[in-house]
Amino acid sequence: MTFYDTLSLALRNLRQSRLRTALTTLGVAIGIASLSGMMSLGVGLQEQVVGRLTQSGVFDSITVTSGGGFAALLGAPGGGRGGRGGQGRGGRQGEARSNTPLDDAAITRIEALPHVNHAYPNVRVSMSMKVADYSGGVTALGVPDSARGIGAFETITHGVFFPDAQTEAAMLSLDMASQINEGDPASLVGQVITLSYAIASPTTDSPDAGRVVTRTERRFPIVGIVERDPDAGMASQGLAGLMIPIAHAQEISETMVTSAQSLLRASSDRPRTYTSVTVRVDGAQHTQDVQTQIKAMGFTTFSLHDALQGAKRAFLLLDILLAVIGSIALAVSSLGIVNTMVMSILERTREIGIMKAIGGSDRDVRGIFLVEAATIGLLGGVAGILLGWFVGRLINIGANMYIESQGGPAGNLFSLPWWLIGGALLFALVISLIAGSYPARRAARLDPIQALRHE
Amino acid sequence: MGASLVKALDGLTLTIAEGEFVALLGTSGSGKSTLLNLVGGLDQPTSGSLSVGGRNLASLTRDELSLHRRHTVGMIFQSFNLVPTMTAAENVSLSLMFAGVPRTERLTRATALLESMGLGGRQHHRPKELSGGEQQRVAVARALANQPPLLLADEPTGNLDSKTSTEIMNLIQTLNERDGKTIILVTHDAALAATYARRTVTMLDGHILSDTAA
Repeated sequence: MTFYDTLSLALRNLRQSRLRTALTTLGVAIGIASLSGMMSLGVGLQEQVVGRLTQSGVFDSITVTSGGGFAALLGAPGGGRGGRGGQGRGGRQGEARSNTPLDDAAITRIEALPHVNHAYPNVRVSMSMKVADYSGGVTALGVPDSARGIGAFETITHGVFFPDAQTEAAMLSLDMASQINEGDPASLVGQVITLSYAIASPTTDSPDAGRVVTRTERRFPIVGIVERDPDAGMASQGLAGLMIPIAHAQEISETMVTSAQSLLRASSDRPRTYTSVTVRVDGAQHTQDVQTQIKAMGFTTFSLHDALQGAKRAFLLLDILLAVIGSIALAVSSLGIVNTMVMSILERTREIGIMKAIGGSDRDVRGIFLVEAATIGLLGGVAGILLGWFVGRLINIGANMYIESQGGPAGNLFSLPWWLIGGALLFALVISLIAGSYPARRAARLDPIQALRHE
Repeated sequence: MGASLVKALDGLTLTIAEGEFVALLGTSGSGKSTLLNLVGGLDQPTSGSLSVGGRNLASLTRDELSLHRRHTVGMIFQSFNLVPTMTAAENVSLSLMFAGVPRTERLTRATALLESMGLGGRQHHRPKELSGGEQQRVAVARALANQPPLLLADEPTGNLDSKTSTEIMNLIQTLNERDGKTIILVTHDAALAATYARRTVTMLDGHILSDTAA
């Protein structure tokens, strides 16, 4: 007996009890809908959270600090000079082995590593700022031209990114802009910001000469306002209210006087070193590799990659939990298949007897019933995926309406990737075959004489 | 449940040659149907041996037994045993389907068989749309579909009126005389046995009472 013949007999049997077939199929559909719906919720939430974080550029960036380990743990944020500033918290990856200076040469070497998009020093300077009627302290962050269009600068809420690396221009964070002009932060674009800080000039040419500290001012036109904090996730670095091209930030950092101690340092006799350098990798999957290589150069590295792995593990657990809950409905519907098949065998006992009397083998009979169960499973699987998708859309619309009313960004809470569709179909098929195996075996083992006497 | 063992057949020896038309005659419970079911491979003996065409049915596996039913014997029953949801042609092709005959050939052969049974034009009717005699002729066609040498009939006229009974018995006789099929007919009707069979084996309580050639 060919498979086609088995299939045609099975379909004919299913057609003969349409209502029962339809109800059983609906049962499977609800089971698969709840399973695929739950899993698609898990996948959707994961994409929402991990996707948003990945987009923020947190996971493809590595913060590199000079190898001094202990020294780097001390000090306050700010300033571009060696030996100061650094990180307070976070999962520091191992201890450095040597005191390699974190200077321009090191940045060049890091940028030469595979998968590194670019590396730039983190330069932060604290100054006084004056714009419109507002004046106060601000930390200015140096932003490289290569950050254009990525991470926090993917969308500029008002205005534009710096025209180029050299032009004097500034961007404000939306927080800072709102602080300056609560009613209409956008109106600040085009205004000029005045930054003032102290510089020291020697009184004579002698190296031991006294120094005069004077106040100097720089003027930067505001070109844009960004909503997102460029260093989201790097909590230890604090918020930067103001962003200026990195070349200007470095220049200010090198000339400004922050304390009496800094006056004692000679300004030009050693190469510039940096507290920390940010390295952008061309994909979160390469973060680990690059990190290992930078550590081998003798630096200390830090990234949120490990935190992402933790989040992924948590989501895996959530997925499993949701799948278990979803499976309960499927387990119930698989009992429905068993019930339907047993009923069908009772009704068709005599027919089974006839088939055996005219030469049907056990395998022929078992095949017919297994194919019937599998057909119910597959039909139920297809219907269930459609049902789950539809219900998911409905919940998504409702949830997004709520999220938006609360001021959050809308997104897809349910995600139905191809592997989930294929997996759900396969699962429906396997479950129905398991559910059908007992009734099919029972039908196959029927005694033909008894079956023929059955009314 | 009693523990008493009923021996449906006991100490019975019978040899039937190819081409014979044998009637198994007896009251109900005489063991004649049990014997027929054993020959037909629907049942297997608990002891003793039973050979059909040189094969000992007692030692066959379930699969081998289904092959025996498919190719060596054709069975006709008192209650016709047609699948009610299938047409006459589909009922006949069902046994061809188990034998793995391709679909188009199945239909051709089923139609030809039904025509030879005088059922031309009836092949798309379901059993309940056919008279008793017609249904039994469909059953005969089905029994012959895989061209078995042995035809087993269990009270084939039990549900038919006398005119139709005669038609069916004439048909069976023709199959014996013209086509050389070996026939075993189970009946409780001594007159029927005497009219059509060339040898009558009378049974009682699982034993053979008499074995007479006509």
